[in-house]
Amino acid sequence: MKLTYLGLALASLTGSVHAADLGATDDPIKLAVNEWTGQHVSTHVAGEMLKAAGYKVEYVTAGYMNMYQAMSDGELHAALEIWSSNVSDDYAKQVEAGGVTELGDLGLDAKEGIAYPAHVADMCPGLPAWEALKDCAQKFATAETLPAGRLVDYPADWGTPGADRMTGLDLPFKAVPAGSEGALIAELRASTEKGSPLLITFWQPHWAMSAYDVKFVDLPVGEEACFNDPAWGPNPNAVNDCDFAPTRIFKASWSGLADKWPAAAEILTNYTMSVEDQQPLMGQIDVDGQSVEEAVAAWMAANEATWKPVVDAATK
Amino acid sequence: MMVEDHSVAAPLRRLAGLSPASIAAMITLIVGALCVALEPTLPWLVKYPAAWSIPASDWIGSALTWFLGLIKPAMRIISAGLAYPMDWAHALFTFVPWPLTIGLVTALGWYIGGLSLAALGLGGLIFVLASGYWLESMSTLSLVAVSVPLALLTGGATGILANEFPKFKNAIQTVLDVMQTVPTFAYLTPLLFLFGFGPVVGLIASAIYAAPPMARNVILGLERVESDIKEAAIMSGGTRLQQLFLIEIPSAKTQIMVGVNQCLMAALSMVIIAAVIGGFKDIGWEVLLTMRKAQFGPSLMAGLVIVVFAMIIDRYSGKLATERSRYDGRVALAIGAVGLVAALAFWGKLSNPSSITLLDPVASWLDQSLTGFLKQNGGALDSIKNGAMFYALLPLRIGLDGAVLPFTWGFQWTPVMSAAFIAVAAAAGLVLALRGRVALGIILVIIAGVIETGVSDLPWPFLLVGAGALGWVSGGRKLATFAFVMLGLVLISGLWDRALLSLYMSGASVITCAVLGGAIGLLCAISPMAWRVVLPICDMLQTIPLFVFLIPVLMFFQIGEFSAFLAICLYAIVPMIRYTRHGLVTTPEELIEAAVSSGATEWQTMIEVRAPYAAPTILLGLNQTILYAFAMLVIAALIGTTGLGQSIYGALAGADVGLGITSGAAMAILALVADRLVQGFAEERRQALGL
Repeated sequence: MKLTYLGLALASLTGSVHAADLGATDDPIKLAVNEWTGQHVSTHVAGEMLKAAGYKVEYVTAGYMNMYQAMSDGELHAALEIWSSNVSDDYAKQVEAGGVTELGDLGLDAKEGIAYPAHVADMCPGLPAWEALKDCAQKFATAETLPAGRLVDYPADWGTPGADRMTGLDLPFKAVPAGSEGALIAELRASTEKGSPLLITFWQPHWAMSAYDVKFVDLPVGEEACFNDPAWGPNPNAVNDCDFAPTRIFKASWSGLADKWPAAAEILTNYTMSVEDQQPLMGQIDVDGQSVEEAVAAWMAANEATWKPVVDAATK
Repeated sequence: MMVEDHSVAAPLRRLAGLSPASIAAMITLIVGALCVALEPTLPWLVKYPAAWSIPASDWIGSALTWFLGLIKPAMRIISAGLAYPMDWAHALFTFVPWPLTIGLVTALGWYIGGLSLAALGLGGLIFVLASGYWLESMSTLSLVAVSVPLALLTGGATGILANEFPKFKNAIQTVLDVMQTVPTFAYLTPLLFLFGFGPVVGLIASAIYAAPPMARNVILGLERVESDIKEAAIMSGGTRLQQLFLIEIPSAKTQIMVGVNQCLMAALSMVIIAAVIGGFKDIGWEVLLTMRKAQFGPSLMAGLVIVVFAMIIDRYSGKLATERSRYDGRVALAIGAVGLVAALAFWGKLSNPSSITLLDPVASWLDQSLTGFLKQNGGALDSIKNGAMFYALLPLRIGLDGAVLPFTWGFQWTPVMSAAFIAVAAAAGLVLALRGRVALGIILVIIAGVIETGVSDLPWPFLLVGAGALGWVSGGRKLATFAFVMLGLVLISGLWDRALLSLYMSGASVITCAVLGGAIGLLCAISPMAWRVVLPICDMLQTIPLFVFLIPVLMFFQIGEFSAFLAICLYAIVPMIRYTRHGLVTTPEELIEAAVSSGATEWQTMIEVRAPYAAPTILLGLNQTILYAFAMLVIAALIGTTGLGQSIYGALAGADVGLGITSGAAMAILALVADRLVQGFAEERRQALGL
């Protein structure tokens, strides 16, 4: 018996230098399913890849903000789409404590910015150039922000990037924190349906970008200097007078992942997903009403060339 | 109205010949006026300096983290133990084919309450099936099925403990108050740390919230056991345990069943909170997902599923509590058998309940109606919002001097106007005082001062003294000290500014609810027709997950205070309506007959007889409205308010144990102080009426 094992191990070693041991294939790997569709897509594609490699996978719903304690306890094994722009403080704490490990970038090219539904361009001529906002701030004013215009910012616990831009560029807008993602979407929807003005902090990839025809305001491209050196940029007296710092979207896992399931850790580390792949899948799910499983299964069948090599590299 | 003699104030009162209420109001007014007058030289009198705060949330955070780390291993064992019944319940509920479940629930309905309950069970579950949320609902039910027995046991044991050891009764009551007023979101982070992840945490959170009603009703029930029954039990020579379990608890059964009913409802209302943690694909998670996409139709459907369960559970357990008679068991067996046969006959052929989408067209129709309504009435909605903001909410928050601007009212508020405004109020107050209503006159001046200054700019000594004075009038020196010290704690914890914003938000909502809810309650008391319309709306408002209402409110009025205000009112108005009506319709017949025979019109009877008699009940309704408003503040933070609710939510996101607990405690303190003050007044009214 021992000899056979040795022989197998030698054979696999000679087969590929990267091939890793599958590990405990009888125990399911638990992947965190958070609250938004894009994340469901990223997670299910990764899960199907793990299944193709011979693992059992369990999709576990988990609150995005509160899942890191569970991950550190080994009750959740990986989360595949974490946005650096609104990651919980708990993530850094758990990484520092050693229970959670980062698995590198997902490769999703995200953009955040100051945005508006397309019809707003008629109310504020000159958009998408940011300078146009100086003169039409009054049009965005509401009871709470008078005389300044109103900018709907991220929920307070995601940080205040919108407010920072307004201060940096010295624009007469007051930022109102949204409270939740649902509140942001409700604002976009109401503005599109009422034809009312709206300036909002938003991001892509997001299904609402196309559903409500959302456009980004053109801001000066952000460089490192913009965030440190007041002299840089259109406003000589302030930092942040430029576009958003690029957002990283990354993966993380329970620190014990690589020991228990070495090949799975390798697959998840090398796994990437692009906006071009994710966005149409989101549309099929949110707009056309397909289930995540259906949409992902069809995508897996059609795009074997994209994901198969990652699985093969780790297992063969 | 008189409160018993208070030695310190007695000579003062004799001097001035004033009632305690007048003296209290006078002291408050003087303190407020002094603060405003001295502000230019002593700015710390108005704005509490940040340097004087203690870093309470840091201290509490590190102390708690240490303590939680200590008990974590033990708690993990508990949660591992609870995971078994949870898994069994979940496996059972999701395994049983739906025809059998529907059959059994209908059969149970028949057995307890005959045709009407059977129809409710059948219709309700068919609605759930048609909505496509069957499996998610069964997950939810399995959570409730485990958390309720847990809550009943701990609640019942606590109640008995309080009954057996009267020494502890006060302490236990306070703990129960705290359990019900500290918002659940505030202690989710420690719970996650202690109990791990997944449905077990939701289960424990829901048990914490659901146990107090059970404990309270057990205490109340045991208290009300007639003394001759107790004596008979003692005479027959049973041990204390025998007396308790064989005599006293059975005699308190009705009250205890009320506790069971309330416990069930509370557990169900926590379902959505459990979903925030995740780990479990239940109906609350569906509400959260649809809420995140701002899909009103689907989220209303998911919310209605919870309402349906609440109604079935409420009516079934309510009937169990109040009626002894049971319907024919053979019919029940037959109904159950039909379900079983259907399940067996179609075994394997039953379509997956998740693929049923019969109600999807309804959901999208609802969504489109909302869109259509918005398109047509966008302008009108905006002017409603602006009107409310400009003329009510803004002045209340930042005062007339800040809110009256050319943009809003069309002119600028000047110091002369301030002086004139206060002078008019003072003159009116003086007139009232000369007519003998001294306290009312002074209160009028105080209110004018508050509106002029704005709640968020009120000087802290004024609020502390004001709360103390109210406490003194309402419940004597003990309550005065309680109110003063408790608010003082919030002050030095460094959360004062946020607490003031929360106070403003809930204050505005409570006033509106009191006026509007009182009027609706009055209408329902006069017209049974109106009550038939209002009752189901009240039921729905109380059981549907509140998140669901945030979407239309947001779409109509956008992010901001007005939306938060409306959301709070929607929830908090219900007890005001219920209690007002209940108080007015339960006036004893002989009182009314006496009034009618002495020639009073219906309206006079209402004002002169029913209203005073109902006052204690109405005050209790107000008390509940206040507690509901504070509870809703946390949910309203999802719309973007800036008070304590936002701190709690932010602490949850940042896993900041200290900030979460401190903000939750501050919220609970505000609610408890308001609760005690109103209960004090209610008690005094009851005594005045000789009840």
